[in-house]
Amino acid sequence: MIEVDSLTKLYGDFVAVDSLSFCVQPGEVMGLVGPNGAGKTTTLRCLAGIIPPTRGSVRICGCDLVRDPIAAKRILAWFTDEPRLFEYLTVEQHLAFTARIYQVADYEAAANLLLEELELSDKKTALPSQLSRGMKQKLVIACGLLHDPKVIYFDEPLTGLDPIGIRRMKDSILKRSRQGAAIIISSHLLHLVQEICSHILILKNGRKINSGTIQEMARQYSDEAGDANLEAVFFRATGEGDK
Amino acid sequence: MFSALIYLQYRSITNRLLLRFKRLRQPKYLLGAIVGAIYFYFYFFRYLFGLPGRRSGFALGSSPETLALYEALGAAVFLIAVLLAWLLPHERAALAFSEAEVAFLFPAPISRRGLIHFKLLRSQAAILFTTFILMLVTNRFGGRFWIHAAGWWLILSTLNLHLLGSSFARTLLLERGISNWRRRFLILGFVIIAALVVIIWSRRTLPAFDFSQMTDLKAIQDYLEAVLTSGPLPWLLYPFRLVVRPYLAPDLHSFLLALLPALAITALHYGWVTRSDIAFEEASVEASRKLAQKIAAVRSGNYQAAHTKAKGKRAPFILRSTGSPVVALLWKNLISAGQMFSARLWLLLAVVAVMISSFVAQSSDNSNLVSALGYAAALVIVWSLAIAPHILRQDLRQDLPLADVLKMYPLRGWEVALGELLAPVAILTGVQWVLLLISGVLLWTAPASSNLTRSALFAIGAGAAVVLPMFDLILFQIPNAAVLLFPAWFQVGKERAQGIEVTGQRIIAVFAQLLAFILALIPAAIAFATVFFPLQMVINRAVAVAPALIASALVLGAEAALGILLLGQVFERLDVSSEIPTS
Repeated sequence: MIEVDSLTKLYGDFVAVDSLSFCVQPGEVMGLVGPNGAGKTTTLRCLAGIIPPTRGSVRICGCDLVRDPIAAKRILAWFTDEPRLFEYLTVEQHLAFTARIYQVADYEAAANLLLEELELSDKKTALPSQLSRGMKQKLVIACGLLHDPKVIYFDEPLTGLDPIGIRRMKDSILKRSRQGAAIIISSHLLHLVQEICSHILILKNGRKINSGTIQEMARQYSDEAGDANLEAVFFRATGEGDK
Repeated sequence: MFSALIYLQYRSITNRLLLRFKRLRQPKYLLGAIVGAIYFYFYFFRYLFGLPGRRSGFALGSSPETLALYEALGAAVFLIAVLLAWLLPHERAALAFSEAEVAFLFPAPISRRGLIHFKLLRSQAAILFTTFILMLVTNRFGGRFWIHAAGWWLILSTLNLHLLGSSFARTLLLERGISNWRRRFLILGFVIIAALVVIIWSRRTLPAFDFSQMTDLKAIQDYLEAVLTSGPLPWLLYPFRLVVRPYLAPDLHSFLLALLPALAITALHYGWVTRSDIAFEEASVEASRKLAQKIAAVRSGNYQAAHTKAKGKRAPFILRSTGSPVVALLWKNLISAGQMFSARLWLLLAVVAVMISSFVAQSSDNSNLVSALGYAAALVIVWSLAIAPHILRQDLRQDLPLADVLKMYPLRGWEVALGELLAPVAILTGVQWVLLLISGVLLWTAPASSNLTRSALFAIGAGAAVVLPMFDLILFQIPNAAVLLFPAWFQVGKERAQGIEVTGQRIIAVFAQLLAFILALIPAAIAFATVFFPLQMVINRAVAVAPALIASALVLGAEAALGILLLGQVFERLDVSSEIPTS
């Protein structure tokens, strides 16, 4: 479970995230949407413990991310939009390294299963520079899922994936959610959010505009015809459609 | 159309300069610029302004014979560069464009000749900058700066045009069915014939060179002068001498006389290049992709990847999935260092070193030479302390662009700091232990001339073996702390800063690191003195060094532990979003 209370991040005088509070329960998939510069990536970075929040608290399955970062980080995974890998480690070395960092005993079986699922079995000895962008993304996913995280963040998860990869990624997210993981997805692809998220949170200028289940939001922003899809919800909530 | 290309080049340069001026508003760049300007002034510019400084050189008082020799030598170097351009390359003509230039210019309605002109225009920016730097360097040795500048520009521009022209010609030959090897054989045949002519002429005309005079520089110079300035070689080198001649002109009159023929050769090259109609686009697209990959690799600190074909490296040991995660970082960074630094290699080297050292020691009658070699090996250990932090960078300096990934890991700050430091420390310690072994074996066999008894030698060696890893741990902490505390002062991330201000920053950083290292050694020196001086009254002085060194090692170890804790705290507090370019 992810509990965020009054999360604020300042860069000098600039407010990147402003008193953000929300909660994601196990099994829920929350879509974090907003226009460019809304503070989505900064929020995710704070939730992953990569950058310290200026104020507020983040609890991951009951562990305070600031006070007990090690316990919190053991159960979370973050997938960035740009695959970030060590250029000199091969695919299998990445997995061995990750297993040691997260203390995953007897990781080989799980690693092989993940590589098979992600169609990387024949690339075990390849370096990141020998992989396509989609394959790099898959390697990042394999490393991230190796320790069976309970909390997962995705930042634009479909970037660079082919149609098969996209379908597999969606299935993988839903499978993890069914297994009880609390998931946050930050994306501009509103159809993806509508398809796989149970909840959404709309951010603008670092502030929460609104949040709730997809159905609640659709009801709240529907016009007379009552046919609001997520795109309509987004434009009406952010006021971007008026411009 | 060409005006658009000039605009692109002009804007690229002015925007880059503007960006540099703007960043001078930040104190770290302003201070760096001041220090850099002082350095450049005292090292180069004061010679331009005729201020006092030691200068000597060919241009101020050289004889015509010496100038002719320099001209012939310069021409010979030029000839070698030209021959290599015809001999070595095997690929088709490819002009180096950036990926953005390929994306914008190749689909645009620009003729092939237009692209060549753009390429020439862009290379002029680099040539002018190189000319300026070479002029500053060579002007330290005398001569007129404007003659040097014009001379260098002519040499570099002609060479650049020739390299381009030769690449076009090579492609043309390939298209006409003349393979790379056939071309190489033809050129090599020409080179061999020319060399034979020169050798035969030299043997028939000149007195044979007396190899017993190899240590006499004047004799070598006289012989070279005779070969290069008389007989067939001056004629073979003639066009190359014309290009080099303006640079060596001692005065305005000689310069103007030399300028016209040199300009004519440059103009001929220009005509050759611009009239070539060779398809270079496809090869250029591939070349630009490779260039972008190389630049990205270098900018992210992975220099090896920029020069070698991508190939996975063998792990130094099997990493179990449980145990201290610190070991995982050591393992990862040892893989990054490659096979050159594997434990197996160093073990093998140690065995070979001991065998060779023993052989040298046993077979040499000169014990002074053996002990001198032993001391030399020990000196290399001291030298390694100065050079190693610049070579071994498999630590936070390498990984800082991935700081967000490291911060994601469930590790305490001190664990990350220790894990990142261990690889370079282990490698350097391995090197030093091998050197210590070599030094020990050599001095062991020549105790009389080394002024050390064998027991003293063993005591010092053992003490040094214990203290060196602690020394190294402190040594590598300093640059790692520096990149964490002042990341903008060091080249991490993809954007490698350049300019006078960055040179100044580097000078400040080197001095600051040296000062920090000296300060860190003071407590260890006190510990050494506290143990050594009382002990040397009781036991042999040299033997007393061992416990004193071990006491120093303990103090250094405590300092290192404290440093790692502090480094870890700094890493935990590091705000990657505001300090480090991570993507």
